[in-house]
Amino acid sequence: MSLESLQDLWLTYQSTVAFIGLNGLLALSVYTTLSCGQLSLAQAAFMAIGAYASAILTFHTQAPFAVNLAVATLAPALVAIPLGLPVLRLKGVFLAIATIGFGEVVRIFFVNLDFTNGALGLTAVPQRTSVWMIYAALAGALFVLWRIRGSRVGYALEAIREDEPAARTMGIHAARYKLAMLALGASFAGLAGALEAHYTFMVAPGTYSFTRVVDMLVYAVVGGTSVFYGPVVGATFLTALPEVLREISSRVGLAPGPLRLFVNGVVLLLVILFLPEGISSLPRRVRAWLRARREAHAA
Amino acid sequence: MGQQIVNGLFLGSIYALFALGYTLVFGVLDILNLAHQAVFMICAYVALVLVVHLHMPMFAALPVAVLAGGLMGIVVDRVAFKPLRGRSDSNIAGLISSIALATILEAAVLQVFGPDVERFPFGAVPTRSLKIGGAVVSELQIVIIAIALAMLLGLTWLLRRTRLGRRIRAVAESPKAARVLGVDVDRVIAASFFLSSALGAAAGVLFGLAFNNVAPDMGRSVELKGLAVIVLGGMGSMPGAALAGLALGLLEVFTVAWIGSSYRDAVAFGVLFLVLVLRPRGLLGSAALREA
Amino acid sequence: MFPTVRFLAAAALALLAVPTLSVAETVKIGAAFSLTGNAAAYGAQQKHGVQAAIDDVNKSGKLKGVTLELVLEDDGTSKEQGIAVFQRFINRDKVSAIIGPTLSTTATAADPIAQQGKTPVVAVSNTAAKGITDIGDYVWRVSLTEAQVIPSALKVAQAKIGFKNAAILYGNDDVFTKGGFDVMKASLEAAGIPIVDIQTFATKDRDFNAQLTALKAKNPDFLMVSALVEQAAAIVSQARQLGWNVPIMGGNGFNSPKLMANAGPAAEGVMVGTAWNKASADPANQAFIAGQKARGNDPDQFCAQAYTGVLVIADAIAQAGMKGGRDDIKAGFLKVKDLSTPLGKFSFLPSRDGSHAAAVQVVKGGKFEILQ
Repeated sequence: MSLESLQDLWLTYQSTVAFIGLNGLLALSVYTTLSCGQLSLAQAAFMAIGAYASAILTFHTQAPFAVNLAVATLAPALVAIPLGLPVLRLKGVFLAIATIGFGEVVRIFFVNLDFTNGALGLTAVPQRTSVWMIYAALAGALFVLWRIRGSRVGYALEAIREDEPAARTMGIHAARYKLAMLALGASFAGLAGALEAHYTFMVAPGTYSFTRVVDMLVYAVVGGTSVFYGPVVGATFLTALPEVLREISSRVGLAPGPLRLFVNGVVLLLVILFLPEGISSLPRRVRAWLRARREAHAA
Repeated sequence: MGQQIVNGLFLGSIYALFALGYTLVFGVLDILNLAHQAVFMICAYVALVLVVHLHMPMFAALPVAVLAGGLMGIVVDRVAFKPLRGRSDSNIAGLISSIALATILEAAVLQVFGPDVERFPFGAVPTRSLKIGGAVVSELQIVIIAIALAMLLGLTWLLRRTRLGRRIRAVAESPKAARVLGVDVDRVIAASFFLSSALGAAAGVLFGLAFNNVAPDMGRSVELKGLAVIVLGGMGSMPGAALAGLALGLLEVFTVAWIGSSYRDAVAFGVLFLVLVLRPRGLLGSAALREA
Repeated sequence: MFPTVRFLAAAALALLAVPTLSVAETVKIGAAFSLTGNAAAYGAQQKHGVQAAIDDVNKSGKLKGVTLELVLEDDGTSKEQGIAVFQRFINRDKVSAIIGPTLSTTATAADPIAQQGKTPVVAVSNTAAKGITDIGDYVWRVSLTEAQVIPSALKVAQAKIGFKNAAILYGNDDVFTKGGFDVMKASLEAAGIPIVDIQTFATKDRDFNAQLTALKAKNPDFLMVSALVEQAAAIVSQARQLGWNVPIMGGNGFNSPKLMANAGPAAEGVMVGTAWNKASADPANQAFIAGQKARGNDPDQFCAQAYTGVLVIADAIAQAGMKGGRDDIKAGFLKVKDLSTPLGKFSFLPSRDGSHAAAVQVVKGGKFEILQ
C-alpha cells in the first residue's frame, strides 16, 4: 500500500480510533465504582462537568491545555464527594436510581444555563485534542487501576464487593473506599469529557444523557468487570462494531440504524446471559475448554 | 387553577398506571425491569395496528393489547430474568439484560414501523369535552382516569383477596420461605410479570390515546419519571405507586404554573434524589429493605 | 529488438492517450442524513430528495460527460457517527462534495472535518443562525435560517391578524428549537410586540397541558411555538382541546404534512413560515412534486431542500466547466445565480448562506396554503 493510501486509511478511521479511546476511558469510569460493588450512573454528569469546565477555560482564559485537562479531572471529583456522602449509603439499585436522578438534574442544569447558551452549548471549540492524548489518558487510567488492583486498597475493594458487612467487621472503612472510587471514576469521566469536547468541536447538554451513561455501563459489562482492562475491551468492541456493521448493512441492504441497535442489544443480551464475565474472559474460557477436551481425550 | 388540577390528575394517573407495573416486579423480585417501557411502547403499537388495520373498535383493541402485553411480560421474564436467577450479581445483571431486551424490541419496532410519530385514527375515540367549573375536561381524559382507577382497584383486590395474590406476596416477602411452603416460585414470578406488563401495556395504549402520540421512543419520556414515582411511593408498594404517580403529576403541573416550565423535570428528579437521601423507603414503602 | 521497443513505445503512448478519450466522468456526492435516531423522520425525506435529484440530473443530460453518483450514509443523529461518516466520505470514498448532515448539532461537529479536508459541504437542513457557515469557506448552505424566515412571516401574520401581544412556547433542550426561540423572541422585540409569557418543554415531553394552561391564563393574542413536528401536532391538539383558539405560528419544525396528519382538525389555521412553498406553481416545483409522488413519497420541505442541494452542486459543476473536483465545485458555487429549483430562484449570499424567497403558509382544509 502506498503512503498516501495509508494516510487516507488513517484519516478515514481516525475518529473511530479516537472514540474507542474515549469510550474506553468512560467505561473505566463506570468500572471504578463497580469494582467495589456499587453501580453508579452519574458518570455522564461528571463528564459534562469536565467538558464544560475545560471549554469555559478555553474560551475565557489563555491557560494551556494541560491546565484545562487538570481542572476537568479535578472538578468532577470535587463534586463527587458531597454527592457520595449521602448517596453511597444506599444499596444496589437504589444507589443506581439516585445517581440517575443526579445525572438528570445536572443535565437539566446545563440546559438552563444561559452562560453556556443552554441547549445550544458551546460551539467552535478549537480542536486541541490529539489521538495520542486520548490514549495517554487511557493508559494513565489503566495504570492507576492496575496499581490499585494488586495493592492493599485493591484487596479491600474486592472484599467490599464480595460482602460489604463482612468487610466492615474486618475493619475496612468501606465508606471511605467507596467514596474514593466514586471520585476516581468521576475524574476519569471528566477527563474524557474535556478531551471529547476539544475533539468534536462542541459541548452540549444533549451529549450527557441517561442513554450515554447506559452505553458506558454496557461497554464495561460486555468487556467484563472482573479484570481492570475488561471495560476497555468492551469499549473497543462496541465502538468498532457499528463501523463494521455499517459495511455489512450497506451490502445487505438493511436499514443501518435499526440493525445496529438490534445487534448491540443482542450482543449485550448474549454476553450477560452466557458470558457473565464479559468478552475479556473469552481467552481464559477457551483455554479452559481446550484443556478439558485434551484431558477428556487423554483419559 | 382548576384546569391545572385536572391536568395534574390526568398526567398523574398515566404515571401511576406505568409505575404500578414497575413497582410490582420490583416488590416481588427486587429487580428493576427496564424493559417495562418497551412493552409499554409495543402494546401501544399493537393497539394501533388492531384499530387501523383490523378495524377493531377501541374498546376491543385495548383488552387485546393488554393481554398481548401480559404475554410479552412472560417472555421478558423467560429471556432476560429467569436465566439469571440464582446468580450473585442478579440485580445488576437483570438490569442490564432488561436494557438489552428493550434495545432489541425498540430496534424491531423501528425497522417495522419507522421513526415517525403515529396516532390513533380520529374516529376511534370520543373527542367531546365538558366544562366542569372553570376547567375543560375531555371525555377521553375521564375514560382514561376511570380505567386507571379500575386497574388499580382490580390489582389491589387481586393481591389482597385471591390465592395468586397471596402467593405473590409470599414470594415478595421471601422466595426461599415461599418455596419451602410449596409455592411454585417460578410460576408466581411469571404471573407477576404478566400482571406488571399488562398494566404497562394499558398505560402505553392510554398514553398513546391521551397525547396523540405513538412512536418507538415514547417509552423514554416515561421511563425515568416512572423511577421517580416508584421511589417516591415506596418500592414494592402498589398504593404508594398510585399515590406517588398522582402526586408527581400534580407536582410537575404546579411547578410549571408557579415556578417555571424549565424546572419541571428538574423537580421530578430532585424529588427522586431527596427521597432517596432522606427517606429511602418513600411514602408507603416498608421499612425493611431486602438485603442486596 | 529495436522494432519491438518502438512498437512497445508506440503502444505505451497509445495507452497514455486513452484517458483523454474518456467516457463519462463520475462525480461522487456523499449524503449524510439521519436515517436513524431522533431526526430520522427528516432524514427519510432527505433521502428521497437526493435520490430523485441525482436521477433527474443524470437523466436530463445537463452535465455533459459527467455522471453523478450518490454515496448515502446514516449519521445516526449523532456527532460521533457524523464525524466518522464525513471522514469516510473524504478519505475513503473520495467524494467531491457532501450534502448534510441533517441536524445543526451534528453539523457543528462534522463540518469542520470537511473544512479541514477541503471538501465542500452543502447544508440542506441546518438552520442554526451561527456556527454553520462560519466554520469556513468550504461550508455552504441551502436551507434558510430561522432568522431569514421568521421575521418576514411575523410581518405577514401581523398584517393579517393584527395582534397586540404574544407568548412563546419552545423546547429548551434541543439546539434547533432553542435557536428558533431566540429568533422568535428577537423578532417580536424588534417589531415592538410585548411578550406576555414564555414557557418551555423538553424534547421528550408529550404532555403540554400544564404549559398551555399557564399561557392561556395570560391571555396572549398570538402564540409562537418552536418545536419539532412530533411535539408540534401534540401542542396544537392539546391547545385546541383545552378550548383555546389563539392564533398559532410555528417555526420550521411545523413544516411537515405530519402536522396535519397527527393533529387533524386542530391544525386548521396554524401558520408556518416556510422556506418551501409547496403550492407554488413554478414548473420546477411542480415537476419535483410529481416526481416524488411517482416514487410514492409525499414530499416535505426537507425533501425539497435536499433535492435543491444536489441541483446546486450540479449547477456548480456546470459553472466550473463540467469539472467535478472539490475546488471546482467550490468555485462554481460562487457563480450560482437565480438557479431554478423547487424552492424558487436560488443564489448564494456572500456569507455562503442560501437566498431565495420565503413564504408564509397556513393550514386550510388539511393542507398548507399560502397566507397572503
